[in-house]
Amino acid sequence: MMMPRPTGAAVSRRDLLHGLAAGAVVLVAGRGNEVFAQSAATGGTPINALPINALPINAWIAIAPDGTVTLQCAHSEMGQGISTTFAAIIADELEADWSRCEVVFSPAAPPYRHPVYNWQFTGNSESIRSYHALIRKMGAAAREMLIAAASDRLSVPTTELAARSGVVRHAGSGRSVGFGEIAAAAAEKPVPAEPLMKSESEWRLVGGGRSLPRRDVPAKVEGSAVFGIDVKVPGMVYAAVASAPTIGGKLVSVDQASARGMAGVIKIVPLGGAVAVVAEHYWQARLALAKLTANWQPGEGGAFDDGALETMYRNALAGDAGWVEAEKHGDAPAALAASRGVIEAEYRSPWLSHAPMEPMNATVSVTDAGVTVWAPTQGVQMTQIVLANVLQVPPDTVTVNRMYLGGGFGRRLLADFVAQAALCSKAVGRPVKLIWSREEDIRQDWFRPAFLGRVRAMLAPDGLPAAIHHRLVAPSILAPVSPTPIKPGMVDGLAVEGLVEHPYKIPHRRVDYQMLEVPIPTMVLRTTGHGPNNFALESFVDELARAAGADPYQYRRRLLADDPVALTVLERAATLANWGRAAAGRFQGMAFADGFGSYLCQVVELSILDGAIKLHKIVSVCDPGRVLDRVNAASMIEGGVVWGLSATLYSEITFGGGRPRQANFDGYRVATLPDTPELVTDFLENRKTIGGLGEIGPVCIPAALCNALFSATGHRHRRLPLAAERVFTVYGKIFG
Amino acid sequence: MAKFTFTLNGAPTELEVDASTPLLWVLRDHLGLTGTKFGCGAALCGACTVHVNGEAVRACAYTMDSVEGGEVTTIEGLARGGLHPVQKAWIDQQVPQCGYCQPGFVMAAAALLRQQPKPSERDIEASITNICRCGTYARIKKAILVAAG
Repeated sequence: MMMPRPTGAAVSRRDLLHGLAAGAVVLVAGRGNEVFAQSAATGGTPINALPINALPINAWIAIAPDGTVTLQCAHSEMGQGISTTFAAIIADELEADWSRCEVVFSPAAPPYRHPVYNWQFTGNSESIRSYHALIRKMGAAAREMLIAAASDRLSVPTTELAARSGVVRHAGSGRSVGFGEIAAAAAEKPVPAEPLMKSESEWRLVGGGRSLPRRDVPAKVEGSAVFGIDVKVPGMVYAAVASAPTIGGKLVSVDQASARGMAGVIKIVPLGGAVAVVAEHYWQARLALAKLTANWQPGEGGAFDDGALETMYRNALAGDAGWVEAEKHGDAPAALAASRGVIEAEYRSPWLSHAPMEPMNATVSVTDAGVTVWAPTQGVQMTQIVLANVLQVPPDTVTVNRMYLGGGFGRRLLADFVAQAALCSKAVGRPVKLIWSREEDIRQDWFRPAFLGRVRAMLAPDGLPAAIHHRLVAPSILAPVSPTPIKPGMVDGLAVEGLVEHPYKIPHRRVDYQMLEVPIPTMVLRTTGHGPNNFALESFVDELARAAGADPYQYRRRLLADDPVALTVLERAATLANWGRAAAGRFQGMAFADGFGSYLCQVVELSILDGAIKLHKIVSVCDPGRVLDRVNAASMIEGGVVWGLSATLYSEITFGGGRPRQANFDGYRVATLPDTPELVTDFLENRKTIGGLGEIGPVCIPAALCNALFSATGHRHRRLPLAAERVFTVYGKIFG
Repeated sequence: MAKFTFTLNGAPTELEVDASTPLLWVLRDHLGLTGTKFGCGAALCGACTVHVNGEAVRACAYTMDSVEGGEVTTIEGLARGGLHPVQKAWIDQQVPQCGYCQPGFVMAAAALLRQQPKPSERDIEASITNICRCGTYARIKKAILVAAG
């Protein structure tokens, strides 16, 4: 069957975003070197107000007379520990006393935008790798300004002064002055254009195997940390939301009488693709919502289901139209056409929902004086622009307070849920906290789409692949968060990543991509394209190794022979996993990835017990160039392993009647504690540039696990999750 | 509306609320205790785990009728000053990532240790069924063993 054009299908939700592209283009124009010119002007009131008398030295650092240093964290804290590590990088260069440093979340303002994309967001594992050089420079610049001020105060040349732990000292005389005493004078000093950064051997807070206790951990253990859902604002009321019964559906009418007289109900608010009830308490809103009678117009996809989607993917893969070349070296199609020994396989990854533990929510106060947002958001600038668009107000009248995020995984880059809260606040003239039920959180998700790919290869006489040709069908995952339009006929760089620019230098290689249009909103999700693409590539490399009669580890070593840094990662993982020497009845599988600026090799060891998988051990070796916080880095990789287990074993969104069939954690299953085996994690620091750690951790798990499973059973799994093929872990099969 | 009387973190508490309101929303919205989290609304994820009469229960699906006359302990009242050994172990092991689900895990672990002061890894696997999307399970297991001493 023919499916309708998808761009309009989810129009009600896309409406909330349509101002983004235009707004972003404006913002991209002309961002000079204003970071250094910023000094006191942070472009708006800092969200967490600076301590009284704190003097901004630059956009990132303010120092109070008592010596308290306030550091701005550009990124949202969603479990990466960024609010500790990011601040520690600045503090280290500044030579601040870490125990006297406070960390605040920066406002939406130009200095905090991504140095390349000129866009302020938390995602794509960018927080450290894209800001590291910038914030080190800002810390060093402030340190030099403090030393210049100390030079005046102590009447000695700057060359005789050194900053250390919040104090500038003169070694010759033994005299010293605290940062707080000279902050005002330092703020007046010229900003050095090329401040001298500390050498790595002088780092005291980050790197070198160090780890700092995370600043946010005690409050999160005591229950006092304020997440978005916990915000309290005077006069605040609550909203509960129900979306259209089909994706892309629109509200035609709602019977206002259906909730009349119910306790606490203030107003029923139509939201285009959804309807909200605002009430004095959240549960009152939920009760009234359940009673609402509403008429909906179906989405343009109508009551589409998995079968219709499958047909779309199949037709796209089989067809000749719509293909774009994403990578080309040599002539893989010609080489394959001339070969008699083509090895071919088809790999499929499922639709996934982000499902962070904290359902989408936002608190917004819309007044004539301005708009104030308290939200768990990864997209602080997106929120500002979307609200400006929806409310028809200037962006700079929208103040976004970022609260702790109960997970994000990409979902919170969008601002659709914030826009709903804003419309409710505008409708009732009071601050509104809007909370999605878990069911709404899944139904209103922007899903990571299914990836369907066919890969063909031929081996050279030495057994290594001579040519490889991928044909990948996947909707865009970048479009909703891209500042520039992404359309069919273009290559979505995130959809093909992991297949292109791979360190396996196969002589003839080609990646063709087709951007499928679907009636479902699609979006990035932790691992972006690397997750599904690594499953396909690294499972297929295992197939090639076996076709060549080679050990999969030795085969990969040969593929990476020209990349000593990658090779070292592989070898370290093999050593830690005791590759090839597993105990009787245990089987190993390996996979390798180059993603987010980091290398990763993972080895899964399992056995088969009563027809089910028993996971024993997972080894992860990662090279992100530099590890700034050892414990935090390990947490990111090991948490990533669990994310990868969910994706491999259980998680899948399927569709029926024009909506997801799953709406909660009973249908949308994720890995739990008993599925987590022994985890062994190690790091190398040989890459030349610093890489990301937030998303690489899960990347190799699907292929490594399925490769181990092939070793154990001789059956090649080319479709995820394994639960869809009735393959379970010992624990997972209890729930079948 | 119905009136309910119970003990909350050691303090006598009385309030009037629609009888269908789950304990979770009574705690969060009416009593201002937001350490207990909303995750699924269907007793599937455990983010809302509290103790009622010493037992770990999932407050999102727990009725006020069942609370009447009982003792409720939330994350805010677990230690009654200072930190509970489970909380200390949680900080020591740097368990949380986003941290949203952690109060529920702490409450589940505290209840487990009250019943089984020296649980084996198998005991932990059998009884800790909460969900953490950040994937902190390995450290949770370790922290429970540390708290058990």
